[in-house]
Amino acid sequence: MAYPYVSEHEVRVLSRHFGDPQQRRIDTYVERGGYQALRKAFDMGPEKVIEEVKASGLRGRGGAGFPTGVKWSFMPKDSGRPHYLLCNADESEPGTFKDRELIRWDPHQLIEGCLIGAYAIGAGHVYIYCRGEFFEVNQILARAVEDAYAKGYIGKDIMGSGNDLELTVHQGAGAYICGEETGLMNSLEGRRGQPRVKPPFPAAVGAFGMPSTINNVETLAAVTHIVDNGGEWYRQYGTEKSPGTKLFCVSGHVRKPGNYELPLGFPLTQLIEDVCGGMRDGNALKAVIPGGSSVPIINAEEASRCSLDYEGCVEVGTMLGCASVIVMDETTDIVKQVRRMVDFYAHESCGQCTPCREGSAWTAKILRRIEDGRGTEEDLDVLMEMTQQMVGTTICVLSDSVAAPVQSSITKFRDEYLALIRRGERVGAA
Amino acid sequence: MSDVPFKNPGWAGNTGEFDLSEEQVRGDDFVGDRPRDGGHASGAGTLPYMLAEKAPEAPLFEGEYRERFEKILTRYPTKQAALLPTLAMAQEVRGHLSPESMDRVAELLELSPAYVRGVATFYTMYNKRPVGRHLVQVCTNISCNLNGADEVVEAFLRYTDTELGETSKDGNFTVIEAECLAACGFPTCVQINSRYFENVTPDQVARICEHLKSQGE
Repeated sequence: MAYPYVSEHEVRVLSRHFGDPQQRRIDTYVERGGYQALRKAFDMGPEKVIEEVKASGLRGRGGAGFPTGVKWSFMPKDSGRPHYLLCNADESEPGTFKDRELIRWDPHQLIEGCLIGAYAIGAGHVYIYCRGEFFEVNQILARAVEDAYAKGYIGKDIMGSGNDLELTVHQGAGAYICGEETGLMNSLEGRRGQPRVKPPFPAAVGAFGMPSTINNVETLAAVTHIVDNGGEWYRQYGTEKSPGTKLFCVSGHVRKPGNYELPLGFPLTQLIEDVCGGMRDGNALKAVIPGGSSVPIINAEEASRCSLDYEGCVEVGTMLGCASVIVMDETTDIVKQVRRMVDFYAHESCGQCTPCREGSAWTAKILRRIEDGRGTEEDLDVLMEMTQQMVGTTICVLSDSVAAPVQSSITKFRDEYLALIRRGERVGAA
Repeated sequence: MSDVPFKNPGWAGNTGEFDLSEEQVRGDDFVGDRPRDGGHASGAGTLPYMLAEKAPEAPLFEGEYRERFEKILTRYPTKQAALLPTLAMAQEVRGHLSPESMDRVAELLELSPAYVRGVATFYTMYNKRPVGRHLVQVCTNISCNLNGADEVVEAFLRYTDTELGETSKDGNFTVIEAECLAACGFPTCVQINSRYFENVTPDQVARICEHLKSQGE
């Protein structure tokens, strides 16, 4: 059976072998040119690898969009201490499902990217922190790592190059906050996954107190192709400021949800209409969350002029995040969905910072009251004011992520809140 | 989602329709079950620990499990870093983490029992009390919710005749709501023990449950 989530608009670089179970076999991977990029990286030397990644303009695919090459160059040279590369595979952002697909269809692509990254930053050990719920993904990954060890692509004196690299798959245990970089480090060290105060930044004091870099699965998978084909090649896709391809995870009310790899800067309307086959049942579009549940909601008008790159999303008042496009049609009960998202953040708050711990729970409580038809108009003012106090006042940005859907939905869909408040009536289907 | 023209080729045909063989999805050399001693040390901490077979009194960290524990220790610069994999192993053997199991882990890793409990309670995947043979976790977060996840939860509760978070009388099912399982394109996603079932609709729930019971899995 062919992999069904394909479209003629796609540029399949990372997702090229999605749907082909043979790709997981190390022999097949090597036959198709695998581990050549690693060999090339060893020939180039660490500094040239970093330069090449810088030249490609690759930006972190985990959500923040920070240039990867620049991040790598923050690592100290000759510190005399062990360095670590951490791969963030703790994919938990509601709406995001790309890393799971990337690992389960093409684990060696990620492993190769991890090894190149580790070599570039002088790390001797890579930890892939894989989400706990991904049992079968973990099995595939662990199996692939084992195969790579057996064939000499990981371990001592890799391919006769004299380079030693270790790689360990670490399984999480169910906590959204462990996807935050310092939360992940704490979790890896056997602590509660509570984010750390920065500075010091991970490049100075990271995992186990040592200089560390943390990259998303998709970022490291892209590194494999950048080193293989050159930074200039990568720049042929995407826009000047957001080069390359990106996996767009489309979910919600479209006919064909799924992962689609497209050049950055692709128009959102075209993604919904052409790539995903349009809205289900021919319904009208009501709202889109373009970057996972932590970014502001946009309405249909804003969506119509949104181009899917880091800058294009900012222009319409939202963020690209990890490009998890959640599409909502006219039947959607916005208040209910916002409340569900806030419930999530209230559940996942690690509890360190008061604005987040208390604020997320209060926000959920007020939203539930409004949803049940017991709200007042003043509640909306309270929500706006309270969530404003949750922005930028905490150690990590989980708190800000509560404010994004609440504030944007009250601004853009105030009528729906008011309808519930005035008549206890719900807009859209129950 | 009735007008979606295809089925999701999820894990082992876990689409609710059971229309794909494991080989078709995974490739013919996929090894689903890694050895209990953990195999290569690089992946020793990654075995499924949400299994249907639960033996609350089974010995901890003996034989193959002891070997796996030793392998895990070699992968980290500190002993404490082995805490999550070790807790996971205890749950794999006994089905949940009792206070006794946590104390045993604390002893092994030279941590205080209070510290270990503090960490264990932070993470949702450690069952702090016994659960049914099949732990049914229905994602009700936004993308699944937009596609009727609430009805799927209701269908599971109706079929198993139980309350949210409780275990059915026959001990087969515990049904809970889960946060986003990262399968948003294939709603509704349901994790049952270690497996994902994708594109689940309420009318498939009875068949999935029957299937699980008949497999004795």
